[in-house]
Amino acid sequence: MRVKNLMTWFMGIDIGSVYSKGVLTKDSELVASCVILSGANYRVAAETIRHELLKQVNLSQDDITNIVATGSGAANVHFAGRKASDIICTARGINSIFPRVKTAIDVAGQSTKVMRLDTQGMVTNFVVSEKCAAGSGRFIEVIANVLRIDLNDFGPLSLKSQNPITFNTGCAVFGETEAITRVAEGISKEDIAAGVNNALATKISSLVKRVKLAEPCAICGGGALNIGLVKAVEQELNIQLLMPPQPQIIAALGAAIIAQT
Amino acid sequence: MYFAGVDIGSTMTKIVLTDTDGRVLSAIKGPTGPEHRQLANEVMKTALEQAGLQLDDISYVVATGYGRFNVPFADRQITELSCHAKGVSSLFPNARTAIDIGGQDAKCLKIHNGKLIDFVMNDKCAAGTGRFLEVIAATLGIRLDDLGDIALKSAKKIQISNFCTIFAQQEVVSRLSEGEKLEDIVAGLHDALASRVAALARRLKVEPDVVLTGGVAKNIGMVKAMKENLGCELLVPKDPLITGAMGAAILAKEHAMEAIAKGEPVPTKPRRLEKATFFH
Repeated sequence: MRVKNLMTWFMGIDIGSVYSKGVLTKDSELVASCVILSGANYRVAAETIRHELLKQVNLSQDDITNIVATGSGAANVHFAGRKASDIICTARGINSIFPRVKTAIDVAGQSTKVMRLDTQGMVTNFVVSEKCAAGSGRFIEVIANVLRIDLNDFGPLSLKSQNPITFNTGCAVFGETEAITRVAEGISKEDIAAGVNNALATKISSLVKRVKLAEPCAICGGGALNIGLVKAVEQELNIQLLMPPQPQIIAALGAAIIAQT
Repeated sequence: MYFAGVDIGSTMTKIVLTDTDGRVLSAIKGPTGPEHRQLANEVMKTALEQAGLQLDDISYVVATGYGRFNVPFADRQITELSCHAKGVSSLFPNARTAIDIGGQDAKCLKIHNGKLIDFVMNDKCAAGTGRFLEVIAATLGIRLDDLGDIALKSAKKIQISNFCTIFAQQEVVSRLSEGEKLEDIVAGLHDALASRVAALARRLKVEPDVVLTGGVAKNIGMVKAMKENLGCELLVPKDPLITGAMGAAILAKEHAMEAIAKGEPVPTKPRRLEKATFFH
């Protein structure tokens, strides 16, 4: 018979537009995490994440003290104790890893957010770009699809570029057409990939400037897995960025931390 | 004497051949391919054939549109704005406002006495152009030509909340999976595009008569949605695609006649009826 678990476990679930992320903490330590595609049914995604996290540490739902949900699909996590905004969760998450961070950039599948934080991880200012695909990770996905390259290869490939193209458009739809034209002209995949990273980096840096950059600055979200984009943002802002080891789960981690309070 | 107007748009090349009296001898629309619209020469050959003319019979050739610098058989380039204003005025002499929605841009022109006096345009964001409907029609597996008729069947259009074409594409798929009716979604899409173009047009004062042109004007659902969003009647040419080329042909005649009136030779350039090799 299993002894009733006396430790305190907390769960954070972040249902995003493309990926859903989950984190389990024990005594404030990250003990389990998972990332899945959100798919068409966010309720199913939330259930899958809970099941997966509990399985990883061999616990049952009753062992979890509290669950906080965040992300655009947070309302679908019906078993959550409460919901919290993704801005606050991301800020908490990044603060738990880099306590001195003053600016956090979150590049997600359908939006980009930039937050200014105080030393307690409280958000003092933020700006969100969510109207336009060209300002989010989606732009990279669209072009990766044109170039027929896996998203995981996109960053390393772009770093090989000697001569990045300049996109004439700020629109992801027109950008797609432009990429197709460049492919037809015989421009290399790496030059096109580097061009997209630069285009997105320019948009991100203008968002950063709107909240006034303060260092140290960290980058997270799925977009941070693209090393080419991270380098391009660094170049654009002329700084070095801090990057957490698992940049995709930061908001979920923040949600788990908020669940403790 | 004969004159030609060549309008090289984002996907189609339009050519109008006229005689001295302004009679249209041929009006041809042909695809030139997205790759630098190289094949304008093929469309020109068809137009000449239909009119029973040779290239040398044409006194003056004016090229317009995005690809106007890429026409090896043009004598002169004139912006599409001037040509559109000219073409629209020739069809509708009382036109004061012309709205042109193409596959890659949307523009609104103010016209006074047949001359362009002001304009606004969007070529930055696909969501305010015909491309918006094109992308989503492809997602829905509907032919672009059928889109308007489907929209008209709707009794209750659905508001599309995403602005960006790419995000709206995703929204449409989730709406369908929620069981919303296709015609209601399609009507919502038309309304979304019309509201953006109307907002663009309102940056100028929209005065009657208002003429709607461009490929999107062939879509009956869009004509209705534009009327609703602008709150006024719209005139639509029988062939809304060729107004630019028509204006170019009229301007070709005017420029040639001007030279002749001054006793100068018509300022033609060496022409080659071949595939274009460069692009601006």
